[in-house]
Amino acid sequence: MTTDLVIGMAGAGGDGVIAAGEALMTAAARSGYRAMMTKSYGPQIRGGECSFRLRIGTGEIPNAGTMLDIAVALNWDDFLRFGAELPVDGRTTVVHDPAQDARLDPLPLEGVSPSEAVAVPITEMARASAGTEKAKNTIVLGLLAGWLGLPADRLLGGLRKRFARKSPDVLAGNERAFAAGLEFARTHPLGADRRLSAAAPPPSPRWLADGNEMCAAAALVAGCEFFAGYPITPSSEIMHFLGREIWKHGGTVLQAEDEIAGIGAVIGASFAGRKAMTATSGPGMSLKSEMLGLATIAEVPLVCVNVQRGGPSTGIPTKSEQSDLFQAAFSAHGDAVRPVLAPVSVADTFRITIDAFNIAEQFQTPVILLSDADIAQRKEVVDPIDAGAFSIVDRRRPNERELEHYARFQITESGVSPISHPGMEGGNFLASGIEHTECGAPTASGEVHAQMNEKRIRKFAPLKARRDLFSIEGDRDAPIGLISWGSVAGVVSEATALARREGIQLKLLVPRLLYPVSEEIYEDFFASVRAGLVVEQSHQGQLFRIIRMFVDVPRGVESLARSGSTPITVHDVLDRVRQMVVTFQRRRVPQEEPSLG
Amino acid sequence: MVYTPQDYKSELKPIWCPGCGDYGVVQAIYRALARVGRPPHEIAFVSGIGCSSRIPGYTTAYGFNSVHGRALPIAQGIKIARPELLVLVAGGDGDGFSIGGGHVAHAIRRNVDLTYIVMDNQVYGLTKGQLSPTSPRGLRTVSSPDGSLEDPVNPLLYVLGYGGRFVAQGTPADLAGLTQLIEEGIRYPGFAFINVQSPCVTYGSPDAQLKAHKSAMKSLASLRHDVNDRLRAMELAGEYGRSLYTGVFYCDPDPPASYEALVAERRRAMTDPDASRARVLETFALH
Repeated sequence: MTTDLVIGMAGAGGDGVIAAGEALMTAAARSGYRAMMTKSYGPQIRGGECSFRLRIGTGEIPNAGTMLDIAVALNWDDFLRFGAELPVDGRTTVVHDPAQDARLDPLPLEGVSPSEAVAVPITEMARASAGTEKAKNTIVLGLLAGWLGLPADRLLGGLRKRFARKSPDVLAGNERAFAAGLEFARTHPLGADRRLSAAAPPPSPRWLADGNEMCAAAALVAGCEFFAGYPITPSSEIMHFLGREIWKHGGTVLQAEDEIAGIGAVIGASFAGRKAMTATSGPGMSLKSEMLGLATIAEVPLVCVNVQRGGPSTGIPTKSEQSDLFQAAFSAHGDAVRPVLAPVSVADTFRITIDAFNIAEQFQTPVILLSDADIAQRKEVVDPIDAGAFSIVDRRRPNERELEHYARFQITESGVSPISHPGMEGGNFLASGIEHTECGAPTASGEVHAQMNEKRIRKFAPLKARRDLFSIEGDRDAPIGLISWGSVAGVVSEATALARREGIQLKLLVPRLLYPVSEEIYEDFFASVRAGLVVEQSHQGQLFRIIRMFVDVPRGVESLARSGSTPITVHDVLDRVRQMVVTFQRRRVPQEEPSLG
Repeated sequence: MVYTPQDYKSELKPIWCPGCGDYGVVQAIYRALARVGRPPHEIAFVSGIGCSSRIPGYTTAYGFNSVHGRALPIAQGIKIARPELLVLVAGGDGDGFSIGGGHVAHAIRRNVDLTYIVMDNQVYGLTKGQLSPTSPRGLRTVSSPDGSLEDPVNPLLYVLGYGGRFVAQGTPADLAGLTQLIEEGIRYPGFAFINVQSPCVTYGSPDAQLKAHKSAMKSLASLRHDVNDRLRAMELAGEYGRSLYTGVFYCDPDPPASYEALVAERRRAMTDPDASRARVLETFALH
């Protein structure tokens, strides 16, 4: 029995690979397991090869795992195209269909012999049981249900729902295909035991969501009334979700003519007093940069989501990367500081999106929400979220007394000035990208400019003190300190847990607030640290460099950074941590004094 | 309550050069707004960047002096978010037909109820005298010392070509006529475009000043032009740069519902009184 299992499957477009993955995940979630699923597609617009990897476990699933425990190749050509996503090692059980390639001795896997290879005549079984090759994926569901010990009735229930609208023959055929798979598994037990231990039933039924959907749903909970954006991979699903849902709540979605118009309309809507959001990816962020500066100086609240992908320019649009942090923090001209937040998982995306809106409203600022393709596109089993438990912040409106002599950009103690909107009598003011006085009158005065810059930056002091936007795992006074952010934090979290199990004393800091840099929180964290790593998916190690701009980082803290598309693994982190411990021990051995004859 | 032009005039003193055409444009706007009679706090006035884009600050409306070329997207966001507002947009020819030219087509086809006033002076004044998108071919400027090699954009044909439903041209040389056009544009239920030949006294050509306008301008009404005749309007608009026609070129007599009216209709149809935002998350429950 096992408590944690990674399954990967690949096939051609139309093989129903993704449908099989979703069916498995749903059945697993219903049975109380946690799970995480990522999907990968070939570059074709339609009909190319596709694959999923699904990690199922009885406990928390912090990342999608590394090596596959079970690999299902509906055909080898397609499977091999996903070398990076579906790695096979000596512990993997490989399931393949001999009908797809008769010359299979040895398997077309370079440099590795899997623990076992099971040839299953999947195509033939689909034809025999269901009368169509289309049922290949259902055969696989039957096989996996049998080998993993997943409840067959839940998978069958899923099949019935999926085929409810098809003819009864289609459903009956798939039921026979499922039974055939199950029977094959019963009569051909695997060499390795892949049965999953039973999961504890959850206190209440869990949910399934991906990061983009979660972000869009959270925006609605936060009170978003207006969304405008332009289609771009991998963020478009945020617009799709809101396009379906926002109308029910009296809101509007506008597909703008370009990225600039998207954020422009959002600035307009927010100026008109509505909570508003836009979403894009790196190239769109470049186009939105000027408007983000406008929102900073005109103090217009808005949320701008950047679902990061490989860059620069078009880069690798379908792969995740964490290389837009410099851009998020520094792409503005002038002295513009704007908050940059990053969630670490699908569930975390809910809380961080709510925070993004709350921070935008409280501080009257654009907020950049840095998601990434990994979180945005993967599906997770999440615990039900009680939306009512989150407080929602609205911008500070002027009261009647303040409207008597209203000064929109009044320099207050907090740096935040009450904000009116068109339609509010007495609140009339000029919003502008040009520097302005407290009343909003354009000015070229250096003195006013300095005061206004100071006001616009000072207002973030309470934000930098928010420790709830940082999480710490591990031993508080550990000499080894890890830092990671975004989707990679889940990998580092698992490495931290494994290292601690080995007796290594270490801790992990995961900031959700990446900018402005909270010097004090990092300094406290580093107080006990002699060595460590900042782990992130970018070539330059962007967070590592930004932290060093503002904080005295201990000399032993290094960057563990790599470009996107070759994910950082738990073992990458663990190996570096183990080396650090060895280095500590070497230092303990006293150096021999050179003898002076 | 009855409003006077004075009610729309702010305390800010314009930075424009003495003799600039934009002084007349802002006067016409004050007068037109007084005739329409909406209180200043129910008006949003959006502009981009340029000499003329300073104009919202000279009114008592809610103003937004934004970034170069992007007044239209911001104005659309305002109008869609709060359709009860009167939304004016203003800017120069560079703002509207060069850096922001891409937005004009979409504002037209979306048909948000905005009144877009372009102060067209065929030159970049704020940056001190470079070519603009409406500069005539051959114009010598600091950025084209040997003469421009490009044809100008024709703003009137541009807007008519994309399906603009209210297209007019005025000049501050005829303040009463310009006031009338702006008022009609504001009252028109949909996207309305008014090109104002507003001379640049500093960098503009000497034969394009107010005095010259007075003798050159020809009212379309005096030509007995039928404002519902789109093809004839395009013919006349083709004279841009050669003849200074003033008045309404085209006014669609049967305007369709504005974008924000359609949005409101969709919202009415789709708003679910039982939908609570907190329950959005139920979409993630296993089905």
